[in-house]
Amino acid sequence: MKNKKAKILTVLLFLLPFLLTLASLSIGRFHIPQKDLGRAIIRAISPSAGPEVSTAYQDILFRIRLPRLLLALMAGAALSVSGASLQALFKNPLVNEYILGISFGAAFGAALSLVFLGKNFPAQITAFVFALGAVLAVLLISGRSESHTVSLLLTGIIVSAFFQALLSLVEFFANPYALQSLFFWLMGSLSLATWKDLSISLPIMAVGVVALIMMRWRLNVLSLSEEEAKAMGVNVRREKLLVILLTSMITAAATAVAGVIGWIGLIVPHLVRMMVGADNRKVIPLSAALGASVLIIADDITRVAATFEIPIGILTSIIGIPFFIILLRRSRKVWL
Amino acid sequence: MSIEVRGLSFGYKDFRLSIERLRFESRQVTSIVGRNGAGKSTFLKCLAGVVPLPKSSLFLDGRDLASLRVGERARLISYVPQELTLALNYSVLDFVLMGRAAFISPFSVPSREDLRTAGEALHFVGLEEFEKRDFSQLSSGERRLVLIARTLAQSAEILLLDEPTTFLDPKHEIGVMNLCRKLALDRGKTVIVTLHNPEIAVKYSDAMVFMKKGKVVASGKPDEILNADLLEQVYDIPMTIVPYDGKKIILR
Amino acid sequence: MFSLALAGYPVFCFQSSGKASRQITDSLGRKVILKGRADKVLSLQPEITRIVIALGAGERLVGVDYFILKHDHLFPIIFPEGRKLPAVSNTPEDMNFEMVMKLEPDIIFVSPTELQMVDSLQSKVQRPVVALASMGSFDKLLEEIKLVGRMLGREERAAELVNDFLSRIEAVRKSVSSISPGEKPRVYMSFWGSLTRTPVTYEPVDTAGGINCATGILPAYLGTIATVVQLEQIVAWQPDVFLVQGNYPPRERPVTVEDVLLDKRFGSLPAVRNRKVFYTFGYWYWWDPAEVLVETLYLARLFHPEVAAPVGLETEGNEIFKKYYGIEGGFSSLCRVLECGRWDEE
Repeated sequence: MKNKKAKILTVLLFLLPFLLTLASLSIGRFHIPQKDLGRAIIRAISPSAGPEVSTAYQDILFRIRLPRLLLALMAGAALSVSGASLQALFKNPLVNEYILGISFGAAFGAALSLVFLGKNFPAQITAFVFALGAVLAVLLISGRSESHTVSLLLTGIIVSAFFQALLSLVEFFANPYALQSLFFWLMGSLSLATWKDLSISLPIMAVGVVALIMMRWRLNVLSLSEEEAKAMGVNVRREKLLVILLTSMITAAATAVAGVIGWIGLIVPHLVRMMVGADNRKVIPLSAALGASVLIIADDITRVAATFEIPIGILTSIIGIPFFIILLRRSRKVWL
Repeated sequence: MSIEVRGLSFGYKDFRLSIERLRFESRQVTSIVGRNGAGKSTFLKCLAGVVPLPKSSLFLDGRDLASLRVGERARLISYVPQELTLALNYSVLDFVLMGRAAFISPFSVPSREDLRTAGEALHFVGLEEFEKRDFSQLSSGERRLVLIARTLAQSAEILLLDEPTTFLDPKHEIGVMNLCRKLALDRGKTVIVTLHNPEIAVKYSDAMVFMKKGKVVASGKPDEILNADLLEQVYDIPMTIVPYDGKKIILR
Repeated sequence: MFSLALAGYPVFCFQSSGKASRQITDSLGRKVILKGRADKVLSLQPEITRIVIALGAGERLVGVDYFILKHDHLFPIIFPEGRKLPAVSNTPEDMNFEMVMKLEPDIIFVSPTELQMVDSLQSKVQRPVVALASMGSFDKLLEEIKLVGRMLGREERAAELVNDFLSRIEAVRKSVSSISPGEKPRVYMSFWGSLTRTPVTYEPVDTAGGINCATGILPAYLGTIATVVQLEQIVAWQPDVFLVQGNYPPRERPVTVEDVLLDKRFGSLPAVRNRKVFYTFGYWYWWDPAEVLVETLYLARLFHPEVAAPVGLETEGNEIFKKYYGIEGGFSSLCRVLECGRWDEE
């Protein structure tokens, strides 16, 4: 009986992001009447069916709201799965998806584009490139060291600090117009994503998230000590590298188009573990679903709360923390 | 399945392991004894492949161990380390299930078959009731048994256990050693354990290996090679062997 | 006693001893006392710097801020000798107090948006610090000109400029006065390098007979007039005219007219359908009086081309720049730098 209930809840949780996306199409400061919403969706599916809908409605629904919602869904899933995977890999609850230098690498890349390189090198591309560059630097530097896990984390901190310094340098030389654009980017926002941006970043995130979900059981084994895992037949270095590359790829893709959105990769996996336990077979996919839902809800709030945009990173923490506190009180022991 | 050692030489900064010739047979429990730092754990790690193996020094039924890939080797040899470091509080069954890693590709999840094997392994060590319990709820004796179950789930022919009786009370000590014997006799495994208590070793082993400072001092059946001089040589303190009620008791 | 109180804004009175000691109330409501003449002026507020130059007191500048020296495209045109001035930071983080002391200014002008800096500067340097800005209002701009004129002893020149400004603005107001509100174009401005950043109030647009879509929205940051709107809000407004800030050369523009015209999300906007997407000057660190005047004239021609202007824009622009800064072809030079030669072809 309990099993059946758990199964139903799980199915619901997986459906939640998609239901939220559909519901969120009607949310926004610009009121679109329900019947027009319905008509617009019908028209989108089959272009000549049904009565005409104004172009303004169509543009708002499908060129502004829908890409934004899909980005929220995918980025929420990507960041949460990343955080959850890395927490298992590094056996550390304090780890988040930015730990290997991605946030500052991406920020520096964006700064470079916005301040020096201009339109020919869009910020999304340079951000992505430098985010991955930071991770590669971390991997190369910590290379073949004895306690690989610890050195990866430490090197991640150092590389982050390095890019942070470079970022400050770029800010110093920037003219105020570029600086403004940069600050806007750094605060994290889903608002300016276009279909063009998404056409590249969404598939990347999708591929990575699916791959990591497929590796969900393997992460249990990888969360053991390197010695044990190796003795059990796992090529630890190689698989660890694979996980790191996959998480980096999806985090970089999310950060490149949405800026730095903190808290999701740290809090969502913890919430999920508190609810269902440590087994990554459940934790990884549920983190994706919950992360997507949280980000969609946060984005909905930013869109209606005020006339101006509230940076989404602030909202994710405001939403997450009360849940965290409630669950902390009645959670089982997850970390040893 | 037997393991043969030929001219194994392995070392790091201040220590060198050097073993000329040694053989471990199947259907037997072989214990390796010696002082702390004699090289017992290191030797076991070499056998397990946890440290990089020098070529052509370890042979499994004639095959050079160094030539085996990680996955192949894991299907033949399994290893239980001395210390258990677990970061996340998995359930007992999930923990044992991890032993099936060599049979599951990185992108797959355990099959029904894998689940069955894990369940059986738990049953073998007598903990089938504990499937759903969290690891943190187990006593150290139970944890040790679960660890052995995981090794068993790996379905390897050769089991290496590093100090499996440390920190256990006498009852659990005996339980673990009986388990080792059962594994050897009922399942035909080659069981190799390192122990620091020579008494237990004598009682439960079919063969013993005495090590000192990285070298093998003596090896063979306990009855044949055990004597007070050997013990003193290996442990650097005077020892006496006292027969009692058909058993041998070692006094320090 | 000669005193002039203007609706609570700056107040100025002579002391009876004859030695001029002035008390001013600045934009933050602070009362600042200035003794004697201001011979050495440190201006960390670009708008004030430009006013000082327009008043013919440019040689009294002992220092300016980083922005106007390094990033402003107008400054080298209106005051070429300003290149040699030392740059003192205008943000609190890297304020060089020692340099300020070394320059021994009689008065320091700062921007009211830098609140932390105002007090720290005053207490560390012990010299009169005045926070002034027009905040996007013509009235305040003109008051500023008068106030700075008084502080520098250039009252006559200040009056001249103010009268000129007012008469030109009045001419524009008159020319669009016959147009009913329903016929006024609804205007959206994309300023400061972002599609979604816009000023909640912008007088050049209002004066030129347009309606700012963002009127009535709360600024995103206190003390400024800037806000960030949501993209769908822009679509909801359906503006007739879309203005993009073009106050910098094309290679520095994060947002361009082409970007807006090609952006599929704006496909339904009347501005895009009728191709009424244009550049305008906009501002950074407030205004230049000559530039904003020209901008207003330009916008009037843009919004209401049917109301014929007496002279071509370039000619009138150069005339204005000559009046304010005494230079020939100033507007043309600026247009060259900003590559806006085509603006005049409307």
